[in-house]
Amino acid sequence: MKKIVLAGAFVGLGLLVACQPAAQKAEAPKAEKKAEKKKLSSKEKFKIALANQDKWQKACSNPTQLVPEGIDIETFKKEMLATVKFPEGGVVGKNIARGEKLFGDPKKGGKSRRGNCYACHCGDPKIIACGNIGPSLRGYGKRGIDPKETYIRIYNSWAQNPCSVMPRLGYHGVLKPEEIADIVAYMHDPNSPLNK
Amino acid sequence: MRKRVLLTSAVLAGGAFLTAAVAQEQLPTHLKELLELGMHPGHAYVDEGREMFHTPGPNGKSCATCHGQDGAGVNGRLNLQGAYAKMPRYYKDIDRVADIDTRILACMTKYMGYDKKDKKFMKQFKKWSGPYRVPLASYVASLSNGMKIDVKLDDPQEKELYKMGEKLWYMRVGARDFSCGICHTVLAGKRIRLQGLPDPVKNKVYAHWPAYRFGSDRMWTMEDRVRSCFKAYLLYTKQWSKKDWVKKPPPFSDWVIALELYMKHAANGAIIEVPGLLR
Ligand code: HEC
Ligand code: HEC
Ligand code: HEC
Repeated sequence: MKKIVLAGAFVGLGLLVACQPAAQKAEAPKAEKKAEKKKLSSKEKFKIALANQDKWQKACSNPTQLVPEGIDIETFKKEMLATVKFPEGGVVGKNIARGEKLFGDPKKGGKSRRGNCYACHCGDPKIIACGNIGPSLRGYGKRGIDPKETYIRIYNSWAQNPCSVMPRLGYHGVLKPEEIADIVAYMHDPNSPLNK
Repeated sequence: MRKRVLLTSAVLAGGAFLTAAVAQEQLPTHLKELLELGMHPGHAYVDEGREMFHTPGPNGKSCATCHGQDGAGVNGRLNLQGAYAKMPRYYKDIDRVADIDTRILACMTKYMGYDKKDKKFMKQFKKWSGPYRVPLASYVASLSNGMKIDVKLDDPQEKELYKMGEKLWYMRVGARDFSCGICHTVLAGKRIRLQGLPDPVKNKVYAHWPAYRFGSDRMWTMEDRVRSCFKAYLLYTKQWSKKDWVKKPPPFSDWVIALELYMKHAANGAIIEVPGLLR
């Protein structure tokens, strides 16, 4: 019984949606644009997603997946460095617990949707499900690396290693500057499980 | 249907501890042992597909009406034995290059009275656990078992799509700057978290697709595989967020078929052995 009522509600909704384009076409172009955005088909969406490729990604899209000949690596790095935004409170954040969660939540076996560092790196010895794509970050905070370098690496790894397989998570807005600073804090904290 | 469920749980009961206790590098041998015991959960899908193949659609025609009993053809025409070895390929009747999923959908809607505009049917068709796409694809693919993959690229549309597939393979895009080639060419042999990264091009993996995957307890066609791999890219339309995440290319789209064509052409000469069995 409930199912039928629910289905009815959906049909109603479907009609509403179906009626919208005609109504909105008559309005100002601005409103039309809005409606268009809502109505993108999955095909159009995917097309846009691919068209979002930036010129640096394009440069790296060759069979070697590295910087191709004819493109100056130092210029590439400089351009990438210029995209890095720093947080107001400095590159070492205060919320170490949040940094750990973004790096890889120990409560979820080291998973984290946005940071997901364990996909490629090992670190906290308690997290066994870790990849071997990047170097192990065990003891990272004891290596005397400038936290600013760490920040830049996470924000835009291509500022240090163009076309790297390490994603530019700050550059793409997947991680906010403050969040990256918290990850840096977690990585450089002497009490962090990475450094013990 | 019932058969499929029973068999799956029987194998899983034995398979669960394997998945948990054994490193993934060793797993294939254990899966092979299961195979030798005749315990392949994928076979239930093939059986289900065979049944569906001989079941009439809305207009009274079944696949067998045109393609013959067990796909053996009618008066020497439309024989499906060996067809999968040459797919994806160009088809004149639908004027496009089709993979197995797309070709089956075309036959059902063009020739059997199923309606593409019928949302309920389309949902059932696309569905992973539905009665049409995956079982029929598994069955039709199995009719090419023991034969060599032989994708030709004779038609201009095939050539064009192949080029598109090669380009897509290496295309870095999305909020993680990934490409198929990053994970499967550059990093092949490495481990992403605990999953080993195969090289589908060099290793001609197409020979074992469609494949039954223990991890997800279901059969996957190559469409399912390719589309799912795109999830890792974090593609987006405006700016990446959970809301604006473009997870997968649409099913039956040229993007998917182009990549399939690229990988299957690379697998030319490999002997088809389906359904495959994977972690
Ligand atoms: C897709 C794989 C991948 C992911 C995900 C990834 N990295 Fe990396 N990372 C690498 C690789 C590969 C390197 C080696 C340098 C290079 O190729 O750029 C690296 C290098 C590094 C380095 C420098 C290490 C050293 O020894 O100098 C740091 C620090 C780092 N990554 C931190 C992180 C953090 C923090 C995250 C999560 C927010 C992360 N990485 C996510 C692949 C990855
Ligand atoms: C009314 C006749 C008809 C029916 C019914 C029909 N098909 Fe087809 N099928 C065709 C035609 C025509 C082609 C195109 C052959 C060509 O161009 O080589 C085709 C092509 C195919 C191909 C590709 C063959 C090749 O050589 O590459 C497959 C696979 C296929 N059909 C599967 C199916 C399945 C599965 C069903 C049932 C769901 C089905 N067909 C129902 C007529 C039919
Ligand atoms: C982030 C890494 C990543 C990216 C990017 C990626 N894949 Fe995958 N792919 C995987 C993993 C992990 C598996 C599963 C391996 C397993 O089953 O253990 C896989 C499996 C596959 C397989 C099956 C391999 C086999 O052994 O049969 C194919 C085919 C494939 N991917 C194609 C693609 C294509 C095409 C793309 C580009 C659209 C792509 N992948 C992008 C990680 C990736």
